[in-house]
Amino acid sequence: MSLRGVTAEQVGGAAVLGGSAREGRRGLRKQLRLLPVYILLGLGGIFALVPFIWMLSTSLKSQAQLFVFPPEWIPDPALWSNYAEAWTALPFSAMLMNTIFVTALAMFGELASASLVAYGFARFNFPFRNILFVLMLSTMMLPWVVTLIPSFIIWRVLGQINTYDPLTVGALFAWGPFYIFLLRQFFLTVSREIEEAAIVDGANSMQVFWHVMLPLVKPVLLAVAVLSFQGNWNNFRGALIYLQQPIERFTMPLGLQFFQASLSNEAPRWHYMMAMSGLMALPVIVLFFLAQRQFIEGIQLGGVKG
Amino acid sequence: MPLQLQWYLSTLSHYVGAAIAIVALMWLTNKGLRRLGLRGDAAMGLALVVPWLLGLLIWNAGPIVASLYFSFTDYNILQAPKFVGLDNYEKLISGDPNFWPSVRLTMVYAALTVPLGLVGSVVAAIMLNQGVKGIGLWRTLYYLPAILPAFVTALLWRLMFLPTRSGLVNSATEPIWSLFGDKPPGWFLDRDMLLWGFVIMSFWGVFGANTVIVLAGLKNIPRDLYEAANVDGAGVWARVRHITLPQLSPTLFYLIVMGIIAAVQVFDQPLFIQLPAGSPTFLNVYLYGQGFQFFQMGYASAIAWFMFVIILLLTLAVFRSSAAWVYYESEARK
Repeated sequence: MSLRGVTAEQVGGAAVLGGSAREGRRGLRKQLRLLPVYILLGLGGIFALVPFIWMLSTSLKSQAQLFVFPPEWIPDPALWSNYAEAWTALPFSAMLMNTIFVTALAMFGELASASLVAYGFARFNFPFRNILFVLMLSTMMLPWVVTLIPSFIIWRVLGQINTYDPLTVGALFAWGPFYIFLLRQFFLTVSREIEEAAIVDGANSMQVFWHVMLPLVKPVLLAVAVLSFQGNWNNFRGALIYLQQPIERFTMPLGLQFFQASLSNEAPRWHYMMAMSGLMALPVIVLFFLAQRQFIEGIQLGGVKG
Repeated sequence: MPLQLQWYLSTLSHYVGAAIAIVALMWLTNKGLRRLGLRGDAAMGLALVVPWLLGLLIWNAGPIVASLYFSFTDYNILQAPKFVGLDNYEKLISGDPNFWPSVRLTMVYAALTVPLGLVGSVVAAIMLNQGVKGIGLWRTLYYLPAILPAFVTALLWRLMFLPTRSGLVNSATEPIWSLFGDKPPGWFLDRDMLLWGFVIMSFWGVFGANTVIVLAGLKNIPRDLYEAANVDGAGVWARVRHITLPQLSPTLFYLIVMGIIAAVQVFDQPLFIQLPAGSPTFLNVYLYGQGFQFFQMGYASAIAWFMFVIILLLTLAVFRSSAAWVYYESEARK
């Protein structure tokens, strides 16, 4: 698969640096010549990392330690209890359940519908196919605010404001054009012969899709799954527009906003906010380290294939 | 039964119902079109794209037309929309003192973040492509900010930019400010500085992801091009100018288009950062306030259409200009 190809090439690029002892010395000289590059890259890395460390550090401070000068990097004592206190300050356990529920349904809907539609665009000749495909790509550039108010009114007419329907049911209608595009590109790379062999064996289109095509594009499917998880887990905008009180109905992003608004009225409790921000981001960070390749390749493909 | 479970079951039943309806419609499309004499191939293909076609009609085409109509009405959701002609657009152009400052803030923000993010990521990617060791590690490190939810990024940078001395950015840069005899700025609390706060924050958020995309583009450039250039004795700058940038141009094109669309529509971050009183806000936030806090859905629709046209024009301009600077392998071969 060309997904693997990208990585193999990059690993290959790094491996060029290895080699025999003589090459090793040449490599060393080359690395020394690259010293300024390393310094600049290091500065960039510090820029990327410092806010994360500051978030962690702040989340372990006491109210009194928040505003000391000069800033303290390693709070003493480290108050891990901040996490528990922040978690129980609002019904975050209920919100976590809601977020998991919404994310699971939306993810499943996106993956199922996008892969079916992508398969249709990649493998079947139907009237207006190319026009429809271009139309689909152009919806990627449609600003969401243009459809926002009428969509809100549709859900209102259906009596589903302040339910999880607007955050989940819409996913069944393949609302992610980018995912369709990615999956289609990969269905196109699958050789027709594999499919034809299955058809000769008496499989119908849906069996080919399920038993042949989907397993073959598993790497992209994973990439799409990871992006979809990230998108739905972090879906603040949808929650803000469609969900209302009681707080028990909120998803985590909306809860976090409520939390920061209510905390700002008193003395700003940055330690709690950073603890909650960290917890909120944690699943995505963990997923990123587990499925790093899929994450990075997922976003790369848009730029390279597009 | 606990309340929460009831909410879940209600949504779940609608979800399953919708799924069954969609599948049934796909099945009917396939069977019906075959009966009408369409090739099996065509009928199956159309059936497969039914979910998206439905979505296009219900969630895109219908709402676009509807929001255009609403933009000519006075509509507060509770009463039926009342047609008022061009009133909303007139208000937008000349009657609303808060609108143009929002446009200006949003446009200046986009004009700064898109090129800055692009230049930063191209420079970083070219450096990473020099055969540095541990490329996977660098890539991970740079990509890390992009996985944070936008609103966590906003909270985090609000903390970094706290206007007091204890704010990390100000405490680190205080000597520099005092060199010019200045006090550190209030960043998000200072009307003149908040734009820069947003620009720096967005740079932090997108630059790593863009770097990863550009890096993939760089890896796709055939090596023999560089070898040929070496034979010709081309210097570093000549190689960047005549090989790297043209070969990279499709990737840059993609990043510019997506960057403009994202920047004009920035929403999550400003909602998590309280701006000082009297300061303009970003267009999307302004629209949200008009529509969902003041319930002026008609006026909000007019703003939405204004944004739509702006984004369309900007995208078209980039597309138009692309003929001059985007290099496609397939065209060159013709």
